[in-house]
Amino acid sequence: MGKRRAAIAVLGAAVMAVSVAACGSGGGGSSDKASGPDAFKGKTLTVWVMSGSNPPGWTKDITAAFEKQYTGAKVDIKVQQWDGIQQKLTTALSESSPPDVFEVGNTQTPYYAATGGLKDLSGDKSSLGGDAWAPSMNASAVYQGKQYAAPWYFATRVVVYNKKIWANAGITSTPKTQDDLFKDLAAIKAKGTQDAFYLPGQDWYAFDGFLLDAGADLVKDNGGGKYTADLDSPQAANAINLYKKLNSYGTAPKDKDEATPQQSDVFAKGDVGAFLGLGWEAAGAIAKNPALKNEVGYFPMPGTSATTPAKVFIGGSNLAISQNSKNPQMAEDFLKLALSDQFEGELAKEGGVIPNKTSLDSNLAGNDYGTVSATAATNGGTTPLIPTWGNVENAPNPITTLFMTPVLQGQDPAAAAKKADAEVDNRLNQKQ
Amino acid sequence: MAAQTTGARTRPGRGRAPDAPPADHARRGGRGLGARSAPYLLILPACVATIALLGYPLVRNVIISFQDLNAFQLIQHTTQWTGFSNYTDQLSSSTFWHTVLRSVLFTLANVALIMAAGTAVGLLLNRLGKRMRLVLQLGLVLAWAMPVVAGTTVYQWLFDSQYGVVNWFLAKLDWHSMAGYNWFGHQFSTFSVITLMIVWQSVPFVALNLYAGLTTISAELFEAARMDGAGAWRTFGSVTFPILKPFFLGTTFLEVIWVFKAFTQVYALNAGGPEGSTETLPVYAFIEGVGNQHYGMGAAISTLTIVILLALMSYYFRIMLKQEDDL
Amino acid sequence: MRRSLFGRVWPNATAVVLFVFFVFPVYWMVTTAFKPDLDIISKTPVFIPVHGTFAHFRAAVHAAGFWTLVRNSFTVTVSAVLLSLVVALLAAFAVARMRFRGRKVFILVIMMAQMAPWEVMTISVYMIVRDQNQLDSLLPLTLFYMMMVLPFTVWTLRGFVAAVPKELEESALVDGCTRFQAFVRIVFPLLAPGLMATSLFGFITAWNEFPLVLILNKNSAQTLPLWLTQFQTNFGDDWGATMAASTLFTLPVIIVFLFLQRRAVGGLTAGAVKG
Repeated sequence: MGKRRAAIAVLGAAVMAVSVAACGSGGGGSSDKASGPDAFKGKTLTVWVMSGSNPPGWTKDITAAFEKQYTGAKVDIKVQQWDGIQQKLTTALSESSPPDVFEVGNTQTPYYAATGGLKDLSGDKSSLGGDAWAPSMNASAVYQGKQYAAPWYFATRVVVYNKKIWANAGITSTPKTQDDLFKDLAAIKAKGTQDAFYLPGQDWYAFDGFLLDAGADLVKDNGGGKYTADLDSPQAANAINLYKKLNSYGTAPKDKDEATPQQSDVFAKGDVGAFLGLGWEAAGAIAKNPALKNEVGYFPMPGTSATTPAKVFIGGSNLAISQNSKNPQMAEDFLKLALSDQFEGELAKEGGVIPNKTSLDSNLAGNDYGTVSATAATNGGTTPLIPTWGNVENAPNPITTLFMTPVLQGQDPAAAAKKADAEVDNRLNQKQ
Repeated sequence: MAAQTTGARTRPGRGRAPDAPPADHARRGGRGLGARSAPYLLILPACVATIALLGYPLVRNVIISFQDLNAFQLIQHTTQWTGFSNYTDQLSSSTFWHTVLRSVLFTLANVALIMAAGTAVGLLLNRLGKRMRLVLQLGLVLAWAMPVVAGTTVYQWLFDSQYGVVNWFLAKLDWHSMAGYNWFGHQFSTFSVITLMIVWQSVPFVALNLYAGLTTISAELFEAARMDGAGAWRTFGSVTFPILKPFFLGTTFLEVIWVFKAFTQVYALNAGGPEGSTETLPVYAFIEGVGNQHYGMGAAISTLTIVILLALMSYYFRIMLKQEDDL
Repeated sequence: MRRSLFGRVWPNATAVVLFVFFVFPVYWMVTTAFKPDLDIISKTPVFIPVHGTFAHFRAAVHAAGFWTLVRNSFTVTVSAVLLSLVVALLAAFAVARMRFRGRKVFILVIMMAQMAPWEVMTISVYMIVRDQNQLDSLLPLTLFYMMMVLPFTVWTLRGFVAAVPKELEESALVDGCTRFQAFVRIVFPLLAPGLMATSLFGFITAWNEFPLVLILNKNSAQTLPLWLTQFQTNFGDDWGATMAASTLFTLPVIIVFLFLQRRAVGGLTAGAVKG
């Protein structure tokens, strides 16, 4: 249940939101409708967004803007739960009236692109603003050279810390290297804080950042579309050992992910030094315990040297149009609207997420998490962008259950890696 | 009300064999086509419903099990036959057979516990005073009525390693090593929690029904047994059990089916972990079929699950059908 | 014969322990629903919600479309139960009172139907409903829920029908009633407990069903079990609201139970005792 907070998530609207002034005119798609203005009367455009992706102000404004552009038509933005979303999306795409526009996590996009359920947007890339997308952020939306989705927003995990606890331990500045970090954590522990760092054993996307930073490759490309798992490497061992060390600075469970219990709930209690999290998690903690409001700070996960922070996993979501959409033109115009500078900017501002163009990063000004997160994202990566990768992340994820947890519980990384590799191979070779 | 009706039927020595073979059958047998077709008309709706709403999906399920049906085929509406490969994959996989064995043992252990505990609680209900009985009945009813999803969530919390009441309580009892104990880190402890929960959910059904059954046995019978010097065990063995035998048979039958099919409890508590060591057949079928979106494979596993359950129950069917003859 | 002090005390003592065992999870659900967030995840359990709050209940009830879900849930559950009662009663009467060729086969089919693993058949059910263009509708849900409880209902009711003394029915026939009239006037009233018992079981089953509605009704015509899961979101798991929702969700079951309780509890046995 809720184990697969896939790609990402977003924001804690309530707290971080700097609510945006009223919407202007529909900035995005100038309508190039062939038919008359009444052609869309009574039609409804269905849009699926994942729970947490659409802050209230943004939702209200984009609905208004779209309905102004298409007088008489309606847009129905439906919030989906992560639980069971894969089966729900797959079955929906097989139906005659699927959602017209939907959000899909970046690690899942190649999987769905390969099913043929997504409309090819290659021809519209420019009109969607694609020329300005940061290439690294667009990578997941491209499959076999075609554009099957459009990058919507991104977020990265940063260290969220409790300023009071750190100050009490006599720490005056945030750590710039991993050695500094461990020194600080030791000092915090010495002051009696049990959870100097709360890092549950199965926070998979956090661990993916560790792997990226250690230079470990999750899969080897054997050519001809064949991939094999590659956790059994010295680099991966370094990554998991670092993860294990960080986990030992707190009491977080070794066999649970960050959602059971929600690490933000744990942090909200005010006796946790720091955790690796997203903006919405920090905001959620503040919502539960308003006393923390001025106590929460952020810094990127430090690297081995002070020059650059550690690499992180860039979580993100793309927007796609379904192949069977009954309203392709409306869907396309909605996409244009959502990806326009106006609404990308508003989403970044209200939700604290990284927009799809670096030119819009200024919208994050004043948002502590967003600024740090955008910095971290400059040095990030994702999971392997191959369709069958989706199989690997299906619960139970072999990397968390067969590799991370056993190593954290004392197993030898190489032995655990062999077991995990076998299962990852198995899943990579499964047909779709 | 029910108690009286049943009592009339089950109280021995009332001079009338229960369910005397229906003489009316012979008497009215010759009333012509209308009467002869009457039973078929009566069962017709049930037959139609079963064929259309259960038979047809089952057939579709079997058809799917011979296909490669994944996200691609589902979305594209294409059919890709694979013959028996889904079946041979499973039947030659040690994971599958381990899961079968695990499911069978899990079912046996749970049903034994449920029947034993349910019987004990039912007998206790019969022995309690009126007020205390009502209190205990209320407790049973509340546990029974709680939705499985909610029950599972609560159990997850009760046994949480950090914040769970159970660990807190055990630590309070001076069992300090239990503070922070991870119930879901091992196969046996995970199964223990699942079993505790299933027993908790199932005992009320057995206990309440047994109690209702007990009230239909006339007090004189117990009195007579006591006069003969029979202890509690002997009374149960020579009076209660024989009279309520059909009840025990029927209830065990239902419990075997319910426990074997139990999905939400096993999946929601620990998703078959750690490392798949608590996957039972339905959970395995779900993870392979729905979780990994290999619907053909999932269908093959669920078909095999049905076959195994049928095999397990075949002996039971014989007993139950034989009972039919006695009716 | 007076029992010893010990003999009088231990049953009551055991009953108290058992009561606590059975009620505690329910108690925990209800009290959690009233606890403020910081008391919910707490290393020292909070047993009594001193600082009680209704915030979680408000959050639960204010969820989008709540009242529609309530209406859908009741419609589907009640229709499925009533439908299965009618269908089952006809079949149960035939099986209990008549001898005909194929009777045993029918009984066997009913017994086997009880074993259907619905959770792992969702995809074939889904494909059937999809190909009939019946997604997002209450009708298929009602029909399949009816089927889920039908075998148990037939099984139990036939025990009840058999338990009604045949003499009563026959004397009515002698008095000039038709078989149908005899059934309606004599047998049916005596079946009330059985009908209640089985409808309770059916109610619980249909009320709780989740996997099917999740995949069949993605856009509309949804029911309450979907509502129960929506408080675990990316904003954080709102356990308070989840428990408040669970509490509200359990209420109708308990009410139905208390309403049917006396007849129902005895009822299941009468069926089962008859085997």
